[in-house]
Order: sequence, then structure tokens, then C-alpha cells
Amino acid sequence: MSTGGGKGAHAQISENNIIAFGIAGGLIGIYAAYFLVDLIGGYMSFLAGLGAICGILWGASAVRRVSSYGLGTGVPSIGMLALGIGLVATLFGLAVGGIAGPIISVISAAIIGYIVGILANRTLGIGVPIMEQSMTEIATSGAIIIIGLSTAMIGTFNFEEVVIEVIATGYMAVIFIAGGLAVLHPYNANLGPDEKQDRTFATAIEKGAIAMILAGVVASINESASGTLTILIGLLIWYIAFTEFYKLVKRDAYKITGSGLLPSKEELE
Amino acid sequence: MIDIAGILTANILNIVLITLGGALISLAVHFVPVGGAPAAMAQATGVGTGTVQLAAGAGLTGLVTAGAMMNVTDSMLLVLASGAVGAMIMISVTMIVGQWVYVYGVGCPPVSAKVKYDPITKDRQDLYVSQGTEGHGIPTVSFVSGVIGGALGGIGGGLVYYSLLIIENVAPTTEIVGIAAIFAIGIFFVNSVIPSYNIGGTIEGFHDPKFRRVPKAILSSLVVTFLTAIMGVLAIGGL
Repeated sequence: MSTGGGKGAHAQISENNIIAFGIAGGLIGIYAAYFLVDLIGGYMSFLAGLGAICGILWGASAVRRVSSYGLGTGVPSIGMLALGIGLVATLFGLAVGGIAGPIISVISAAIIGYIVGILANRTLGIGVPIMEQSMTEIATSGAIIIIGLSTAMIGTFNFEEVVIEVIATGYMAVIFIAGGLAVLHPYNANLGPDEKQDRTFATAIEKGAIAMILAGVVASINESASGTLTILIGLLIWYIAFTEFYKLVKRDAYKITGSGLLPSKEELE
Repeated sequence: MIDIAGILTANILNIVLITLGGALISLAVHFVPVGGAPAAMAQATGVGTGTVQLAAGAGLTGLVTAGAMMNVTDSMLLVLASGAVGAMIMISVTMIVGQWVYVYGVGCPPVSAKVKYDPITKDRQDLYVSQGTEGHGIPTVSFVSGVIGGALGGIGGGLVYYSLLIIENVAPTTEIVGIAAIFAIGIFFVNSVIPSYNIGGTIEGFHDPKFRRVPKAILSSLVVTFLTAIMGVLAIGGL
């Protein structure tokens, strides 16, 4: 599982930039969608989807850093943990926070994540030096992803409406698994001795775009949000990210060779 | 703004029950024979997938059966029993299908590499361990251990769900069911990852030496679940 021999993952973009991008981009996207949906119209809800993609990139980056030490449990578990903490913190933050809901959710997620990090290192003795910081980041990004995708679906993060239109309808399960996969899959798919930060990030953005498209599909049946723009922008981002990923795969491959088609029956005889 | 102190004091019992449920889930994971990626290649004893997937699969089935029982009765014991049975059936089915693949597909005998004799059947184990592997398949003791784990996980998940659902509030039932279920799932995932770190991703069951690490995971789960329980009670109680 370990890729860097316990030294941590090599990075081209510094982690501080990604943390800032994740928090600021995520919250700006969510709040912009919240206010602009009221001011301009339901189709502005796509901004929250972009915020969720910022959170996904950040979460995938944190998973990449912590998993490069080798957790012994597989990468998926940490993605599920992120969304599990994010879910609890989001519901709490939105319930008590009102307009400050997303910020309170992010802070509560950071607190639980930090405590889980401390427990994992001190009590369980997992021995990953960056565990506390990474768990805080991963849990916080989980909260941003959940709020971002919910807001993209219904155009608001008002708790009463989230409960009625996202949770009681069961779309929260879609958010949970689409967001969780977007965080855990990029590193899980690219891991190995030749893992590169830009290729992992291209996968993360591509997975984020799929989550955004899903949110758009749900938004298209909601009156308070419009799905068309979310789906179109999601498809565009997906196309760009997937082309980039394919390009990077070809760059990092030792050799690409065509195997041709399977031989026909006559050729085999 | 909601009355934080009032809700917390009125629901102190719920917080305790949720915390207890989280600790039960954490304990349950230690019983489930999980082999991770090596077991997927029949190179370690247990089911060939991760702790989280196994525990969540069984636990969430337990939540569904517990929820179905809550439609017809308010009795806590019946709800917990229903959750336990649902989770036990799910984990048993998972283990028996995995076993078929190991025995008839891969062609290896179910055997534990951690003990010389199976504590339940007293069968010799070490002779049947293939060279270079940590055992394979799901031997009797691991199967029994897994069923116990399913029962504990189902009870734990049911307890969390039940305690969240009986919190007093003014919202309609359908909304509360949704929030309680989502909260229970969140708490379930957190409490299945924590023990997963504790056992390093693989364990054979209660006969495995790693099982002695249980107290650490339970302590961690108690702390984290207590925190999440407070948040859950506040979110639902404030509706």
C-alpha cells in the first residue's frame, strides 16, 4: 500500500494552496449559489456544484497524502470516514446555524476529524505523523462536499428544506456515495510507485464532475433549482478532466502498444 | 436559536444509548472475519473485502430490519432483536457465498493460520495452511465469530437508530425517519473505520491475537460517538 516508503507523497502543487482552494472555493461556491439563486434565479445553483468540486479536490489531495503512508486498511475506508463525519457535522451545523450553517458545519467537522486523528495516532497507535492534520482536512472537505451537492440539488442550505427535499427523499444517500467515491477513488485508482499528483487530481475533478451531473439531474425535478446549467457545466468539466486524465496516463505509461483485434476463426486454424 | 442546554438535559439518556450503540458497533467489527485484499486472493483467512464494507453491509441491513420493526412496535427490545437478526443473516450470507468461492472456485480448504486447533471443532489447522499464505477461507470459528459480530453490530446500529428516533420534536415522522437513518449511517461508518485502524485491516475473529486490542477501539469509539451523539440530539431535538 505504501508508495513513498513512508516519506509522504511528492507534490507539484503545495498543500497549503490546495487547502485554501478547497475551503475558500467550497464556501464561496455554496454561499454564492445560496444568494444568487434568490437574486437571479434557480439556475445559479450550479455554483454550489463547483464548490463541491473544490472540496472534492481538497479531500482527494488529503487522502493522497495520508494514504501514501500505508494505512493497512485500504484507501476506501478513509473516504467513508470523511463522509461519515461530514454527514453528522453537516446536519448539526445546518440545524443550529441558519445562515452560518456551512461555516458551523465545517468547524464541527474539523473538530471531530481532529479528535479522530488524535485517537488514531495516540490510542490506536496507527503511527502516521500527519494523521491529525489529514483527518481534519478530510472530514472538513466531506462537510463541504455534502453541503455543496445538497445546495446544487435544491438551491439552498436552509435546514428545513434540506430535510424535506434531500434527506427525506433519500438523495442524501446519492450524495454520500458519489461524494465518498470522488474523495477515495482518485488515489485508490492511481496508487502505485508511479502515482503523480496531477493525474490523481485529474481523476478527482472528473469524479467531482460526475457528482455534479448527478446533483443536476436531481435539481431538474426540483422547483427551487434548475438542473440544465448544472448538467451542462458538469459534462463540460467531465470532458476536459477526462481528456486531461487520458493524456496524463499516456504521458506516465512506459509504453503504449496496440494489441489488435482478436484473431478470427480462419486465422487460428 | 435553539435551546441547547434544555435539549441536552431532556435527552441525556438518548446520548448515553447512542454512545453505547457506537461502542457496540466498534466491538462488532472485531468479531467479523475480514481479510482485505490478501483474502481476495485466498492468501489470508476471512472474507475478501475491507472491514468497512463488511460491517456497513451487515449493519445497514440491520438498520433496515430494525426500521421495519419500528413500524409495528415501539418496544426497544423487539427493534434491537430485529436489527440483530437482519445483520446476522446478511453477514452469514456474505460469509457462506465467499466460502463457496474459496472451496469450489479457488479449491482451498477453509483454515485459520492463527491457531493450531479450531477452538470450536478442535480440528487441526496448521497442516492445511498453504505455504506462503496466512490461511484461507472461513473456518468454523471465524464463521461463528462473524455471526456474533453481526448480532452485536445489528444491536448497536438499531440502538443508535432507535435512540435518535425517540427524541422529542415537532417535525413530521417521515422527516425524522430520514434524518435518524442518515445520522445512524454516519455514526455507523465512523465506528466501523475506527476499529478497522485498530486491527490494521484484517482479523480472523475472536480467536485472533489482535482481538486483545479491543479496549483501545472501544475507548476511541466512545469518545467520538459521544461527540456525534450530542450533535445528533441537538440537530433532531431542535426541529
